[in-house]
Amino acid sequence: MRRSQRTEALYALLFLAPFLIHLGVFFVFAFVRTLGFSFTDKTLIGQSYQVVGLANFVQLFQDPRFIAALTHSISFMLVVTTLQTFLALSMAAILNQRLKGITFFRTVYYIPSVLSSAAVTVIAIWFFQKTGFLNTFIGWVGSVAPVLLAFLAIFALAQALQVGWERMRGLPVALTDPALAAISLAVGLALTWTLVALGVVGPREARPPEFTWLTNSDRFLGIPIPLWSIIMLNTFTTIPTLMLIFLAGLQDIPKSIYEAAAIDGASPLQQFFSVTVPMLRPVTFLVITLSLIGTLQMFDQVALMGDAAPLDSVIVLAYYVFNNVFSGEGRVGLASAAAIVLALLTFAIVLLQRALGISEKAH
Amino acid sequence: MKRWWVAGLAVAALGVASAQTVVRLQGFGGNDTAIISSLVREVVNPALQKDNIRAEYQGVEGDYRAALLNALSAGTAADLFYVDIFWSEPLFASGRVEPLNRYFTQQELAVFNRNLLNAFTLRGNVYGLPKDFNTLAVQFNKDLFDEAKVPYPNQTDTWDTFKDKLKRVQAAVKDVAGLCVVADHARFGAFAYATGWRPFNAQGRTVLDANFRRAFEWYTSLVKDGAGKYAQDLGEGWTGGCFGAERAAVAIEGAWIGGFLRDKAPNMRYGTTLIPLDPVTKQRGNFIFTVSWSMNAASRNKEAAAKVLRALTSPEAQNWILSRGLALPSRSALANSPIFQRPGKENELNRVVFQGSTSVGGAVLPFKFGSLDGGDWMRPINEALLAVITGKKSVDQALADAQAELNRLVR
Repeated sequence: MRRSQRTEALYALLFLAPFLIHLGVFFVFAFVRTLGFSFTDKTLIGQSYQVVGLANFVQLFQDPRFIAALTHSISFMLVVTTLQTFLALSMAAILNQRLKGITFFRTVYYIPSVLSSAAVTVIAIWFFQKTGFLNTFIGWVGSVAPVLLAFLAIFALAQALQVGWERMRGLPVALTDPALAAISLAVGLALTWTLVALGVVGPREARPPEFTWLTNSDRFLGIPIPLWSIIMLNTFTTIPTLMLIFLAGLQDIPKSIYEAAAIDGASPLQQFFSVTVPMLRPVTFLVITLSLIGTLQMFDQVALMGDAAPLDSVIVLAYYVFNNVFSGEGRVGLASAAAIVLALLTFAIVLLQRALGISEKAH
Repeated sequence: MKRWWVAGLAVAALGVASAQTVVRLQGFGGNDTAIISSLVREVVNPALQKDNIRAEYQGVEGDYRAALLNALSAGTAADLFYVDIFWSEPLFASGRVEPLNRYFTQQELAVFNRNLLNAFTLRGNVYGLPKDFNTLAVQFNKDLFDEAKVPYPNQTDTWDTFKDKLKRVQAAVKDVAGLCVVADHARFGAFAYATGWRPFNAQGRTVLDANFRRAFEWYTSLVKDGAGKYAQDLGEGWTGGCFGAERAAVAIEGAWIGGFLRDKAPNMRYGTTLIPLDPVTKQRGNFIFTVSWSMNAASRNKEAAAKVLRALTSPEAQNWILSRGLALPSRSALANSPIFQRPGKENELNRVVFQGSTSVGGAVLPFKFGSLDGGDWMRPINEALLAVITGKKSVDQALADAQAELNRLVR
């Protein structure tokens, strides 16, 4: 019996070995060495180094750039996690409908996650330029605004008239009745086209905003504009993965609960907040944890922005670490200390999240 | 039987190969991999055959400095490697690079352009032999100037006449900027040096004085006064990008723009002239951009590496590079090479860029900033340029902020 147990343990270890070796070399060893370096003045090109105690940590908190990186990281984490979780859940709820062709939309919405972060960032640099897509698009919307507004007004008027007419005849139609909306759409398009053809309304001259997204040192809500650009970019690329996790969670909720709620007279909105959200709590915990850790460690999009945005406007902790090792004489000691601060911060935030009761148990 | 022959030959070849000393070279990737590998194959290795030494070039793609620092720290760096002047000094001071005085006599070193050699000298020790170099010059698109009926920029232009020409081109030709202005000390600095301003004063501090301010005001006024557009607004990161796309009438770049234009705009008619003169001092300024071949202090084949280094910077090697129009030679004697006098736009470009390093170039300073990392030192100035060009700060405010940042940095 003991012998078989030992064999079993041996096999277990054998199968675990690849993972354990990987963990040991790339995480445990690296972490211990980083911790060691953080108490020394080691540089990449220096021949020798000395133990300096906590001097690196003291120096970090006197460095305005470190303070900037720390505030950027924390605000980035808060904004992106909130946006991501909220939008991913909304998108998952929408894509959980049983509609024809829904798999097509699921695929399309997942695409941003498939694209490589490097490719997306390079495209984003063009997207956010002063004469780039975003500003041009805003300018275009501004220029066709009269036509769009005319169309919307006609559409709303046609819909209101039809609904009013049907209700006068005693038929209980909703304001959003699809059949009537189709007629309103046709009427709206035809009338708008006529108005444009007659020259009553028409597009104005396009005037793209003179706003710079990347080379701007201004702040909005205390966060520099270039960092907002990266927030938008990062949210866009990470939503789909989180959406997929939510979608899996949604499909695990038994339909009988919704049926019971419907029989009790709960509206779809009430069902969402009283059934879906509580039932999804374990999934939400996972998503928020992943999101917090991911956003705190965000590095690639800042690194790839390169000179397109001023460093002090976009620097985050992970990039601060990299930048210290690979500039000047390579301040490994200082960078290690910053990396340790980042690790402790991540740990503390995840613990705080658990303590605040965003827990893993469903109610 | 035949098989035994082949095997025997293979073993013999292996024996010969193992007796050879292999000297590893490391440098930039991209074009350099092709160029230096050919140079090594065609010029360096044949010359070293009698010593049974073979050189091998390995190009590093991506961030070269990070790769080199990493390799030096890990003890895996090549025997000879490139060191960019921009970040050379902290590296030379670290003791990781072998001083070359022991391997080369004074006469051997004296053949190199003095300015270039000085750039790689620290406390009397020579830490690298200049591989090649570049300076800045003004490239202008002849067709755009013709279309606007504006005379071409020339070497008698001052800042004022130069700016006036740019304004007239920008006004006359639709969708074309005079110059794509970049918020970068690597371009602006040439104008600041012309005023007599230096990055460090006698006390070793950086002071943004009245001379600096004069250059700063002129440079940042280009966009405001309609002589140029901010490069990033046109979606470009450098003056050559706009120039190649015919969205700017002039560029301020070095000889590297030649290869770029060959691919991007092969039929463009362009000319090259010297950087314009400061109207007050009647001087020009310029940078020397250069890269050295330096020796690893931890190399096991230092004698062999020194021989490879000699072959890499020999007149034959530099002529090989020059005759292909790839880079400018660091040996003074090659200044009179007939290659420079050949007609053609690229030869003119190389000639003017070469002249930029001589007395015609005016105040020519190496592109390095004391013992500091160049990137760190330039950042406050670049951010001041950016803030004023994009209208976020006044000149006063921007210079005050930059000075405060520099005071923190330069102690």
